[in-house]
Amino acid sequence: MDESEDVPKDFIKLKSEKLSVDEVSELVVSPCCGASSLFIGTTRNNFEGKKVIHLEYEAYTSMAETEIQKICRDVRQKWPSVKHIAVHHRLGVVPITEASVIIAVSSPHRAESLEAVMYCINTLKASVPIWKKEIYEDEYSWKENKECFWANSKK
Amino acid sequence: QVSVLYFARSAELAGLRSETLWVPRHITSLQLWEEIVKAHPRLAVIRDQVVFAVRQEYVLLGDQLLVLQPGDEVAIIPPISGG
Repeated sequence: MDESEDVPKDFIKLKSEKLSVDEVSELVVSPCCGASSLFIGTTRNNFEGKKVIHLEYEAYTSMAETEIQKICRDVRQKWPSVKHIAVHHRLGVVPITEASVIIAVSSPHRAESLEAVMYCINTLKASVPIWKKEIYEDEYSWKENKECFWANSKK
Repeated sequence: QVSVLYFARSAELAGLRSETLWVPRHITSLQLWEEIVKAHPRLAVIRDQVVFAVRQEYVLLGDQLLVLQPGDEVAIIPPISGG
């Protein structure tokens, strides 16, 4: 592998097809990195006693990608040794147990990638314009993340 | 003249995903909200939960003065639930 090609990269994708853990973890592989950390967010089958049939996601796509880019920039400021970052989020219908989001980060040593992955998912939930609708047997509900940065300040 | 985009619950209440709206170039974010509610009264119920995104930057509903350009994108942003 040409060492000069291994510049830090951000891989951001919003797509309606099924997400692949293999694909996302391959993206952040780097010869200089001894650690890759991965987060997978999947659909649960219940909420407050109600059976969840599936989830539906929609996004303000252009702004969501920009906000995720900002998160990647923040990660690189806080953990300068982080090499590659990949954030894949699914849109449209996501069946139970399938992944709605996969985040992978590589770094030379494990502490940075573990912390960076946690930061990514927490900040995504607070600031990226993506919405989730939970479909139950006879009704549905637009979910609201408790991390949503303006929901807390307004109440 | 701005493009207004509706998402999630706001799209359901307004009954549409996008439209063009004529508004003054200088307007506070609260006044802009009031213009939009005039056109879509059912949106009033979510007033305390939404923010705007103006040219893809978040703006709270309030006294903040916006300087809008023709063709600017203004999005209604209900509480988010990504991830």
